[in-house]
Order: sequence, then C-alpha cells, then structure tokens
Amino acid sequence: MSEPARVGDVADGLVIRGWAVDPESGREGAAEATIHDGILTRMTWLTGTAAQGIEPGGILILPGLVDLHAHFREPGNEDAETIVTGMAAAAHGGFTTACLMPNTTPAIDEASVVALVRGATAASGSPVRVLIHGAVTAGRKGDTLSAMGELADAGVVGFSDDGAPVRSASILRNALAYAGALGLPVIDHPEDPSLTEGAEASEGYVATVLGLKGWPVAAEAGSVARSIAILADVVRDVPAARLHLTHVSTAAALDHVRAAKAAGLPVTCDVTPHHLSLTDEWIAGARRWAWQALDAQGRARDPWADGALVAPPFDTSLRVNPPLRSAPDAAACLAALRDGTADAIATDHAPHTEVDKHVEFGWAINGISGLETALPVVLAAVAAGGLPLARAIEALTTGPASVLAGRDGVRPGLRAGEPADLVVVDTGTSWTVTAEALASKGKNTPLLGRSLRGVVRLTLAGGRVAYTAD
Amino acid sequence: MSTGADRPQGAIPAPVHWAHRHLLDVDALTRPEIDLVMRTTDEMRDVLARPIPKVPALRGVAVTILFYEASTRTRVSFEVAAKNLSADVVNIAAASSSVSKGESLVDTVRTIEALGADMLVMRHPASGAPYLAAEVFGGSVLNGGDGWHAHPSQALLDLYTIRSRLPGGSLEGRKIVILGDVLHSRVARSNVWTLTAMGADLWICGPTTLLRGFEAWAAHGAAGRRFTVTSDVDAALRDADVVMALRIQKERMASGLLPSLREYAARYGLTKARLRAANPDCVVMHPGPMNEGVEIAADVAVDPRSVITTQVTNGVAVRMALLYLLAGARHAEGGS
Repeated sequence: MSEPARVGDVADGLVIRGWAVDPESGREGAAEATIHDGILTRMTWLTGTAAQGIEPGGILILPGLVDLHAHFREPGNEDAETIVTGMAAAAHGGFTTACLMPNTTPAIDEASVVALVRGATAASGSPVRVLIHGAVTAGRKGDTLSAMGELADAGVVGFSDDGAPVRSASILRNALAYAGALGLPVIDHPEDPSLTEGAEASEGYVATVLGLKGWPVAAEAGSVARSIAILADVVRDVPAARLHLTHVSTAAALDHVRAAKAAGLPVTCDVTPHHLSLTDEWIAGARRWAWQALDAQGRARDPWADGALVAPPFDTSLRVNPPLRSAPDAAACLAALRDGTADAIATDHAPHTEVDKHVEFGWAINGISGLETALPVVLAAVAAGGLPLARAIEALTTGPASVLAGRDGVRPGLRAGEPADLVVVDTGTSWTVTAEALASKGKNTPLLGRSLRGVVRLTLAGGRVAYTAD
Repeated sequence: MSTGADRPQGAIPAPVHWAHRHLLDVDALTRPEIDLVMRTTDEMRDVLARPIPKVPALRGVAVTILFYEASTRTRVSFEVAAKNLSADVVNIAAASSSVSKGESLVDTVRTIEALGADMLVMRHPASGAPYLAAEVFGGSVLNGGDGWHAHPSQALLDLYTIRSRLPGGSLEGRKIVILGDVLHSRVARSNVWTLTAMGADLWICGPTTLLRGFEAWAAHGAAGRRFTVTSDVDAALRDADVVMALRIQKERMASGLLPSLREYAARYGLTKARLRAANPDCVVMHPGPMNEGVEIAADVAVDPRSVITTQVTNGVAVRMALLYLLAGARHAEGGS
C-alpha cells in the first residue's frame, strides 16, 4: 500500500471523470465530479461525445460505502485490530461509514464504553464515520437487557449481541419492544446454538468428506423463523419495532425473510461478501468463485471430481461463523440481493491474530478480515453477471443507510453542494491481496495471494481524504 | 538418513511410482499407487516371516510418533513397524484439549524437527491437524488418524486384509458393508476412498443419526465413485462379501444420537443371526477396539470368518510399507 495521504482538504479543482453510480438519485452513467475545498461543487452527467469511452469497466465514482457490521476489537483485543487500523482498513476498502459491533472487552453495554470508542475515533484523525451498535444484553450474556436507553442517548445506532444470537426468545421479545420505542433496530445473529455446538463447517458433502462437524442450515433458518415470529408479535403493540438479521447465509433463511417482507413485517437483512462469493469447497482446497462452482442445474459441482482442488485443505482463514455454505446457498445470497430480500452487503470484518488462526482448523477462531476486499469481491460478482452494478452499489450505500434510518446523517449520495463523501475505484486494474497491502491488522483472509480487480484510488469522507492511492 | 545401499537387495521393490512426501489422506491415491502399497506390504509380510523380522531400510532415520489421543494398537503398530525397519523411534504422548492445549501444534512440530526428526507419525483429535503439521515440518508427515477425517494406514491395512481373503484378490463388484457409527469415523471415511477406488460395491449402514452427511457424499459420488447409504441393516448385509463393524462410543448416547447401547446392539449389532443373510464366506472385520456385545457379538468376533487379529498383524506390514515408501520419496526429492 502506498503511504496514506495526509488527512486534509483536497486540493482546489479536483476533477474526476468516470462511471458514476448514485443509488439515491437512481442515476448511473458517465459523469464528471468537481471537488473544491472538500465540497462536491459540481456533479455533471455526461452525454454524447463527452461520455465516449467512459464505461463501468474503467473508473467508478460511487458514494462512500457503508458497512453495517465490523469488528475493530478495541477495547480489549488491540493485537487483532485497533480503531485506528480499522478506520484505515475501511478507508482503503472505500467505506466512509463503519458500524462497530459491541463484542469488545468490555462489551459496549453502557455509555462509558461508547465514550471510550468515540474518544479513540476522534483521536484517530481519520474522517471515516464510525457508528456504534450497543449490546442487547448486559455483558452480551443473554440474561438481562443492557442499558438500552442510556446507550441510545449516547448515540448507538442499533443493538446486537453479535457473535452469538439472543438465545432467549423472551429477551429478544423484550429487546425488540424496548429498542423499538427508542427508534432503533435489534440486529440479530441468527443461529440456534443447540444445533451448532462444536460445529466447524456447513453441514453437507464437503464437511462430511473432511470429517468436520456440521453446522446445519436449520440452525440459521430456524433461528430466523423464530425471530420473525417474535417480531410479528411485538409489532402489534410496538409498531416501531425493527429487526435486522445479519450475515444471513442460507437459501432457507432468506426465504423466511422474503416471506416476512411480503407480509409487511419491519425486517431487514444483510449478506456478506464472503458468503455470496466463496463456498465450503474452499476448505477442501478449491479456489473458484461460488458462481463457478455451480453446475448447469444450479447444483454444487464436485471439487473432488473435476480437479478443482488446488490448495491444501483446512485453511483456517476460511473458518467463519456462519460457515461458508454450498454454491446454491451463495447463489441464493446473490438472488436475495437482486430481488431486495437482502437490503445490504455487510462485511462482518473480523480481524484476528496469527496466534488465534495458525492452529488446528476446528480450534481456530471464527472470522474473515473483509473491509478491504469487499468491494472487489462484489465487483467480481457483478462482472460474472450475478448482480447488476446499480443494485450492488445500492446494497453497499443506501441499503445499509436505510437500515440505520438516516441516523447520524448517513445519507449516501453524490449531491452537489455538500461535502464530498465518495470513493473512486479503478475497475480496470487488479491488485494482489497481500499482508502488506492490507491496512487492517487482520491478515486473516482466504483471498491472500489472489489478484482482485478494483483498486480504490481515492476515498473522501465528509469532504476529507480518508485514503488515497496516489 | 539411509541410502540406497541400505536397502535389502532384491527384497523390497524400489518405490519408483511413489511421489508423495507426506501421507495425509487417501483421497488422492491412484489405483497404481494403492497397488504399489499392496505389493510393498507383501514384501514386508515376507520380512515379518523371517526368524529376525528386521531390515536396515530406515537405519539412521529418526521417526517421531506424536499422539494427541490415547491409542495403544495404532501407536504400538507404528512403533514396531519403524523398529522393524531399523529406524530410531521417539514416542511422544501429548495431552491435548482445545481449551488447555498449552504449546501450539506448530511450535511442538518445530521443536520435534529441531530435535532431528525425519518423519512424523501423528494422531490428533482435530480433523486436518496433520496438514498444519506438514505445513511447518521439513520431513515427512504420516497421518495416524485425525479427528473424523482420515486414517490412511487403517484403510490400507483393511484393503490388504480384504484382498488376501477374496478369491483372486479382487474387490471388483464385491459387496462390502461398513456398519455402525460412520459419522464419527475416520476409518469409514478413508475406507470409502480406498474401497471405491478398487471397484467394490460399498454399502454404508447405521442408524440415520450416525449416517448424517453420508447421503450427500453418496449423492455426489466423489470422482464418479458410487456407494450406497442405508439404515436397513438386513438390506445391507444381504449377500455381503465383507462386513466391517465400527465401534460405538458411549458419548453418542449423551448427545442424543442413540437411545441406548442396548437398543443399538439389538437393531444393528453384528450377530450370527444377522450374518446368515450374508455370503456364507463373508469376511468379518473390526478396526478395534471392540465393544463386544454391542456392535459385534463375542462369538462373531472369534468366528473363523473373523480376520480381526489378522488386521492387526497386517497393520504392522502396511505401516512398514508406508514408512519405507515415504522415506524413498524423500530420497527422490533429495531429502527436502
């Protein structure tokens, strides 16, 4: 990575020409963005000869990306990530807003921890906007509600016990009702722990052959169905209650969300870049994209039969919760993005140290470092025809912003006259994911060594340079 | 390290087709490679029949046997095999648990290498652990069983034993049944690969809770290799040429996979009555250790059709062959 730019105002008269995608206005096409003193002074949509040669395969101009789900590990595990390195990773990935999960040590379950995180973000000097989710339960233990009102007053944007589901149906019901009155969503990590104890990989063909304990689809689908049933009950009394399901990874669970949305329930969900692009066959040593692992009938191909096993098996950078699924489940994540069942793509950026990862597969800690590869991975899905570009960018900007309901002024868009909050990506150029190329302390990504198309050239957050490659 | 001059002249074929530095799984073994292991095992059986069953093939080779799980038969079998080849053997019984594991596997393996080990035989409760060892170990790693994943030497000794009992030594089209707790069995998984590679008509049988995932495997029929999965023990045993019973562990009841050992014995235990449905010469196998009266009746275990003790003897010969072939592959690579 090149030296991070000095944080400050962009030089006068920066003019960027490229293919702009602006989900807020619904416009997409050749455009010229002019930036003065950090303000997007002019946004000109080009036509005719002026637009010639400007294509989606070249320079992209996008609103700053929004991540609903990231782990910056501070306080408590600064060896894995700090707020400073996490913000640098976000900026390098094109994200100008990152929402942090509260599973720190101590957990973010009261206002004092929020203040601590805010202090660190303010001191970082980075213009990336860091938002905070508070815990649903005290200490994330699942027993009693956290100081939800106090946390809301301190400015949290949602409540989550991420890393674990809210086990008790009764607590979840109370949390949805209480948070609803505060105007905030409960963000649940869907998993029935009685079905996943000791689980190592998605239950099915690959896990069976590798002798890894299975994490069944039913553990996610059942949990999602339960949470939706509870939501339906709560909204009768508390219409403002909202449920967001994070890192949904299976076709079965997405079907439940689709049906709940059709029934008009206030439920939203996100999928991760890794669940839509990678599959469990990577654990066996395959290294092809999820969409390449499907046969003509939409079933998973057999990596043992078709020579797809090119890397050693049991790479712990693939250990993640929920686990990487089969190719049809990954295809279902893309389908859910296409039809709007999935509102957002969230990274679940989960940096970890070498010490926690360079161990036996089943003993490795769960998580993939994802902020810096998210956009190139999604662009790969777009290039493969899995997702229209506009819909992909929507799921990385206005989609997650709608889950946040505009809190903290998160309103992604290429609006003239406002501080520039945008990312410039060169999709005609590739880069190799290496430990050195990643700003995150977390080098735990299965994409290490892989060449990805899409180099972030410039990230402007709130009118200031968050990252520049030049 | 031994050199070519140490090989007993004419006694053991040169491992010309063996290109693997490690033996971590059997999924990638080709049929010619399996045949080579079988032929080399024949030679090792001849060595074992000598008055002094010892050859200098691995003289000067340091073999470390690192077991993270309690095991007597496999550990001793590897030790005897290595000593028969004149290797220098070090045994390490390591305590292991995911919670209080102390030194990491990577550090342990680096230490073993620094202590001069050329070959590492390893047993570990986590599936895939030998791959991690192979990533950092400069010599050869031989998987002595990892989690539920693989047990290559057991599958190869099972194959050797079956071949010696079937007319013509061919498994082609022969009905072979693996009966019991396949879900938790590395022996079953490795046998799926080797037995289907040799063309057997493989049947996997047990209570549905212990077959979980194998239907999906059978549906894929990895690399075109088909096998049958059923919970119907009578259908499985009908006209079977070989039946291999697997150990049922008490923990399976605690996790709700089975009602009781008694019910398992009644419904799936390998009894003389059940064996009547099989081919009259049906070969009876068990990888050990046995729960007599549960997965196998005591009288079946000692029946003339049982080859359970032969499996143990063949285990030494197969492990001699594997150590020998791996040492040869290291020579071919210039000892890298």
